[in-house]
Amino acid sequence: MAVADEIREKLQAAFDPTVLEVVDDSESHRGHAGFQEGGESHFNVRIVAEVFGPMTRVARHRAVHKALGDITGRIHALALDVSG
Amino acid sequence: MSDIANDIQDLVDNNTVVLFMKGTKEMPQCGFSSRVAGVLNFMGVDYADVNVLASDEMRQGIKDFTDWPTVPQLYVKGEFLGGCDIVTEMVLNAELDTYFTDNGIGFDKDAADKIREANA
Repeated sequence: MAVADEIREKLQAAFDPTVLEVVDDSESHRGHAGFQEGGESHFNVRIVAEVFGPMTRVARHRAVHKALGDITGRIHALALDVSG
Repeated sequence: MSDIANDIQDLVDNNTVVLFMKGTKEMPQCGFSSRVAGVLNFMGVDYADVNVLASDEMRQGIKDFTDWPTVPQLYVKGEFLGGCDIVTEMVLNAELDTYFTDNGIGFDKDAADKIREANA
């Protein structure tokens, strides 16, 4: 499965989001640290879910990291926009 | 606590503002570290930089210490403020200005406004 699909699946299951966008942005980091041929190194995620409402920013990001499990260790960068 | 966790605790306790980053504030080694260091430099914030690439122990240690999988990481007065996304967001919506003001940390307000104008 493509990493973007894995990310989408895990976040969908964990947060029942109203907005979920996962973009493999690896190509725009060509030549930067962590870039690998074939992409799947840099991702942008935008997620909106009710459960994030009362959380602090740091707590929101931690919740997303936790839901992604080992994926965060396999990719180079994850840009997150999390809101409630 | 492990030795490295003790070292990190000391850094966090002894520096009002400290940025754990890849590279140094003069020569960042990663775009995300570069962005946060660049903002702090431009805003004239007095901060300590810790190059996590200096040792494998520090590179992993800071992730375990904060329970945060990525670098850069910004600490202010002993508190973890966030990584690149959070700091960027706080700069652009001026929340960081308020945070610094409330915590008595000096910065150049005009420079902060310029960043926002450039990214409006």
